[in-house]
Amino acid sequence: MKASFPKQFIGNTLALFVVWLVLSGRYDLSHVVLGFIASCGVAWLNTGYPNSPFHNFPWGRQVRYWPWLFLRIVESSWHLTTIILNPALPIKPKLLTYRSHLKHRGAVLMLGNSITLTPGTITVDVNGNHIIVHAIDEFSSKDLISGRIERKLSDVYQEIKRQ
Amino acid sequence: MDIIAVALILVGMFFLLVAAIGMLRLPDVFTRSHAVSLTDSLGAFCVLMGLSLYHGFGTNMLRILVVLFLLFLLNPVIAHATIRAAYRAGLKPQANGEKE
Repeated sequence: MKASFPKQFIGNTLALFVVWLVLSGRYDLSHVVLGFIASCGVAWLNTGYPNSPFHNFPWGRQVRYWPWLFLRIVESSWHLTTIILNPALPIKPKLLTYRSHLKHRGAVLMLGNSITLTPGTITVDVNGNHIIVHAIDEFSSKDLISGRIERKLSDVYQEIKRQ
Repeated sequence: MDIIAVALILVGMFFLLVAAIGMLRLPDVFTRSHAVSLTDSLGAFCVLMGLSLYHGFGTNMLRILVVLFLLFLLNPVIAHATIRAAYRAGLKPQANGEKE
């Protein structure tokens, strides 16, 4: 599944160029040409680093993960809202260490990002595959401990096990 | 369309208000950061979606969506950096639950 350098370079250039077109909103010759040169340069500098978490990042397959994550975010946001507005403030904060089995660095990045993005849990520290998580109560950490997030992610990353 | 946009912005403002209340009520840095993460997940999401609907389809909507994407990618990084700094500086979270 390893994409070759020229293929990656062209992909990165096109992605950056689209972002430029969307953000600049001016389509005369000088802006478009300048944007194209800039995206080529930035893509050239950033392609081919095997240590980057975005190396071989399956952008297309993320589509299956993000809507699910968004529903989880809405659900736990509502849960956190009820906690904050409850006069008794029923919190049970604790630190827990979670050991993930994900190999791809991008997958670990997505896992940490998802944990922090979900209200109620936050990634405190990442050490290889050990992730220290702070959770505000049991409901928030339930999904992580049961491994639901990790199963979803390993489903997304199944095709590229190791770089 | 405008009604949906205004409704979304109001919902977003409700979550921002809850996050502010949470900032004041919760006891320590770690729990407060949870309240802050409420702002960037649902608060900012609803407000920005409402704004993009208000502008209608076009480049402005695309720009707001790019901002939203970057917000979702970068805000956890900032929250994580703050919390890790607090943790490494030796701040212990207030724990009335047990440590695992």
